[in-house]
Amino acid sequence: MSDTNDVKPSRLEPPPVTRRSFLSIASLISFLAAMGTALAGVLRLPKPTVEPGPVRRYKVGHPEQFPVGAETLFAEQNFVVRRDAAGVYAISTTCTHLGCAVARTAEGFACPCHGSKFAANGRVLAGPAPRPLPWLEISRAADGQLVVYVDREVPEGTHFQA
Amino acid sequence: MGTTATIPEKTSATQEFLDNLRQLPRNLKDAWFRLGRLPESEREESQATFHNLFLHLHSVRVHLRTLRPSLTLGLGLIATFSFLVLVITGLLLMIYYKPSTALAYQSMKDIHYVVATGRFIRNIHRWAAHIMVIAVFAHMARVFFTASYKKPREFNWLVGLGLLVLTLALSFTGYLLPYDQLAYWATTIGANIANSPRELTDALGITPYFDPGGFQKRLLLGANTVGEDSLIRFYVLHVFILPLLLVILLSVHFWRIRKDGGLARPEDPPGGLAEWGGKLHRVFEPLATKTYGLMAVVRGRRPPVNRGPEGTVMSWPHLLWAELAVLMLTIAVTLVLSFYIDAPLKEIANPAVPENPAKAPWYFLGLQELVSYSAFMGGLVIPTIAVLGLALIPFLDRRPGGEGLWFGTPGERTVAWQSLLFGLVCTVGLLAFTVNFGWLRNWFPEIHQLWIIAINPGSILVLLFAGWSLWTLKRKNSVRLAAVALFTCFLVGFVVLTYFATVHRGPNWQFYWWPSQWPVH
Amino acid sequence: MKDPSRLYRWMLLWTSLVALGFLLAAAVRENLLAEWQQRQRAYRKLLAEKATDARGRELLRNFRIELRQVSVPALGAVDRCVSCHVGIDDPRMTDVPQPYRLHPVEILEHHPVDRYGCTICHQGQGAATNFHDAKAEDAYWDYPLLPRELTQATCMTCHDVSRLPPQDVTLVLEGMRLYEQKSCGSCHKLQGRGGALGPALDNEGLKTKHQLILTNLKPPYTTWRWHQAHFRDPAGIVPGSQMKNPTVTEREALALTAYMLSLRQRDVPESYLAPDKIAQKFRALSPQPQPAEQLYRMYCFACHGDGTYGRWEKTFQRFIPAIRGTLAATATREYLETQIAQGRPGTQMPPWHSQAGGLLPKEITALADYLRASPAARSARDLAARSRPVARGDAARGQMLFLRNCAGCHGVAGVGGVAPELANPVFLRAADDSFLATTIRNGRAATAMPAFQRPDGAGLSDAEIADIIAFLRSLESPSQQTAQAQDKSRAGGSQ
Repeated sequence: MSDTNDVKPSRLEPPPVTRRSFLSIASLISFLAAMGTALAGVLRLPKPTVEPGPVRRYKVGHPEQFPVGAETLFAEQNFVVRRDAAGVYAISTTCTHLGCAVARTAEGFACPCHGSKFAANGRVLAGPAPRPLPWLEISRAADGQLVVYVDREVPEGTHFQA
Repeated sequence: MGTTATIPEKTSATQEFLDNLRQLPRNLKDAWFRLGRLPESEREESQATFHNLFLHLHSVRVHLRTLRPSLTLGLGLIATFSFLVLVITGLLLMIYYKPSTALAYQSMKDIHYVVATGRFIRNIHRWAAHIMVIAVFAHMARVFFTASYKKPREFNWLVGLGLLVLTLALSFTGYLLPYDQLAYWATTIGANIANSPRELTDALGITPYFDPGGFQKRLLLGANTVGEDSLIRFYVLHVFILPLLLVILLSVHFWRIRKDGGLARPEDPPGGLAEWGGKLHRVFEPLATKTYGLMAVVRGRRPPVNRGPEGTVMSWPHLLWAELAVLMLTIAVTLVLSFYIDAPLKEIANPAVPENPAKAPWYFLGLQELVSYSAFMGGLVIPTIAVLGLALIPFLDRRPGGEGLWFGTPGERTVAWQSLLFGLVCTVGLLAFTVNFGWLRNWFPEIHQLWIIAINPGSILVLLFAGWSLWTLKRKNSVRLAAVALFTCFLVGFVVLTYFATVHRGPNWQFYWWPSQWPVH
Repeated sequence: MKDPSRLYRWMLLWTSLVALGFLLAAAVRENLLAEWQQRQRAYRKLLAEKATDARGRELLRNFRIELRQVSVPALGAVDRCVSCHVGIDDPRMTDVPQPYRLHPVEILEHHPVDRYGCTICHQGQGAATNFHDAKAEDAYWDYPLLPRELTQATCMTCHDVSRLPPQDVTLVLEGMRLYEQKSCGSCHKLQGRGGALGPALDNEGLKTKHQLILTNLKPPYTTWRWHQAHFRDPAGIVPGSQMKNPTVTEREALALTAYMLSLRQRDVPESYLAPDKIAQKFRALSPQPQPAEQLYRMYCFACHGDGTYGRWEKTFQRFIPAIRGTLAATATREYLETQIAQGRPGTQMPPWHSQAGGLLPKEITALADYLRASPAARSARDLAARSRPVARGDAARGQMLFLRNCAGCHGVAGVGGVAPELANPVFLRAADDSFLATTIRNGRAATAMPAFQRPDGAGLSDAEIADIIAFLRSLESPSQQTAQAQDKSRAGGSQ
């Protein structure tokens, strides 16, 4: 615009426009960064922050309520709590194949959905189940009650010394 | 490019398969990004625009007038982009929202307190809705004052009017969904405005036989009062029917812009010098020796024989930069507002405890002020007159001139200022009179309702505006100027009434100078 | 030539940077600065301080910073209070500041948090994750967090308060006692029993502040602050209120407030109700008659006092009769029963029969006897014994006499003035001639009604009294006359 000519050249003599200017790149990068951040926020939304239903951590009672040799089934929460000489332990009753609730049988557990069978300690005896029924972590709450964590697994044979 | 050349003539199918497999990444990339890099020549830029479903909405070249921010203020884009923001945030909110009277409010609380980013996204949804309504109104005013509704754009003006109505309907239906006190009572009022023809049929004593008001209300609410059925109806309207209609109309709106030759602007004289941006530009004359691609010249409502696309630049990248900038402006403003100001959520809806004052959404408050005089006149007749009047503008004002220029016809700016003043004086004066001295019912308590329907501040305002417009028609001998007078008056009336009802109306619809003076209740 | 989109690129750059900045700020605000997160971080420090043995170390190891909530679908509650009150079940947390402190163990033992949540007892906005919103005094929420001393009010939701340990509900019990002592039932109904001058109070505890007149209250606006101020000065809070000032101390106003807040008819699943609450509900279905003295204290005392003096009530602009004096002596039991059961239409005296004031027929009889058994009535009894049969009088002459002697107080045509309305259908139907004659003759002791015949015979003669009675009998309420006229015209029309 520094010349004296007020008449702009026709578009057939295109002006030398710097298309890859620093400004273009900077504005594009900041635009993409803002959009990326927004997308990250948006993607966080569908993941629930709290379980809408009851918690995944159950207070099952005081240790005295579980005498040696006894087995208590928590049907709604899908685990059993047993106690033997070594201590208390909990086994999930959710089938490791596709998540059906297994039923207690004489030999252990049986899944009604696809016929998996498990021993009393959770080992797979038959059927499509890929892994044994998981043993669940037990700890003691501040008020002395036992707490079973439904979503925390422990190695088979882990007993809680109550 | 040029992948076809890599396929040799004679080779075994196995070899070909393996070669293709080897080239798969590159071919995939080529399939996605046909050019493989940013376009460099104008030809490539045209193709970038033309060969992309989303970009081909644009013409390949865009006039520099169109690109100037002062012509459009970007209002149409702001409305569109806020709608885009609303669709995205709305879909996200749908993940957690539960449209049931028992659960809706709790799900709002969950979104506010525990859903990750939920509160922010709900705020964005709320603010984008406000921005969209304002932008749509302002866009309409812009189109009017730049005379951009004139032939051949009459149809698109009508489409735009439909979009305005849809925008208001979308915002209104969204109001009920949180199912809090605000939602419940604003919707109750809105539904009873739909019920207002009863005022006339009651006054005539024909309601038992002919009851359009009751029919409208029941159709809207699915019941006589706001409840579960209303919520589901509003939800379906808000998340499906209305957005769908809006997208369809919006597509038509955009398509018509292309078909009508882009944004309205004055015709450049062929072959000479055109003035825009305070400078003279040589207008393109086609060279006899050159062939022009169709897409470089198709513009305007007739083939540009002997004239050419002067004063234009490539849409890619210039128009895209402009659009991106407006998109980001919309988003940034929404984000800032959402960061500081939460979307309102009052107590859970309680049919036993009315909000006082129970106010409709803000863009209906001007109407609510009129409704406070006569529900039928203010809630139905005047809005109908306004919408019909707006629809008729391009058909009554058919003389070309001034397209694409702010206040383009001679004397228009003066008329606009005069009308602004007139409308302001009339509206404020009538409001002040009504607040101070009351109206017919205060003076003649026994007066028949028909008198009140016929003569109230709302109808008088309409008459004053109409009279002013007719006088302008006579005085200035110009249909356009009469239209400017009327439109300006209505705009001023709308703004003043909305402001008045928002700020100066308190509990029991009493006048207060400031909301802080409202008595606690 | 200047690049036409340069402006837009600058705009894009700046708006993008602003947007990015605010997005990041929002992310920081939500993910790092949330109040509950800061609380849990502080709590973890407390846990670390107390992790002196294996148990403590295990608790510290298992502690995670995450949103916690108690979901109780049966009570419609999702309470996130435990996100900050993380130590409510840890017996070691006795010497730490709120919100980390141990909840009183004996209450928590019977009301496990997992089953009851928090808001069923404490109110407040359980969904909130910061204290301001959870307390909700200054937020859009109907039931803000109750102050510590008033939390006992919610026990009534599931308990019969009289069966709870008295030391836990002292305020509610005291409020209950004051409710009887101040004779609130004279004007207010509870479970269908009580007067009709004031509103029924059955669900007073579940009222929101928007249902109260807050104009004359200073903020913060809460229902309990309203109640306390209102008990101290009813008309000062509700302009034009006819409620008598109950003249209570601050402490008594607080107790009455606690009682008001405890009146809540909230539907709670039966499994949550204490057995005594269920028993209480069953008892309410078949009410037992209460002793007359207690009834008088609860339902009559506010207006009639001890009933031996008539007095001018400024608020009502009328005399309140002395119902345990001469009246009770001269009137028959049937007259008194009718007056109690039917009330006096047009006055502040409401009907008390079982459909209206909720008193059982037995209770009304007992009350009538109680009125007649008062010492003042007994001493006036001999007057009534001397009543003579009343002759048939002349109403026209009676009208002249009435205008001269009675109309000054009872109003022309007996419409009532400072003295009761005599042209009252309930009164005229219930009062027999000898009652009227005795009253005119002897007057009403301790009221403004003088004796019109001296023991020596001076004053009105028996015949003149009979004339007045005849005039009174001719007075029928306009409504009755209209009804009769309608009957006649209907009978005429059908012929």
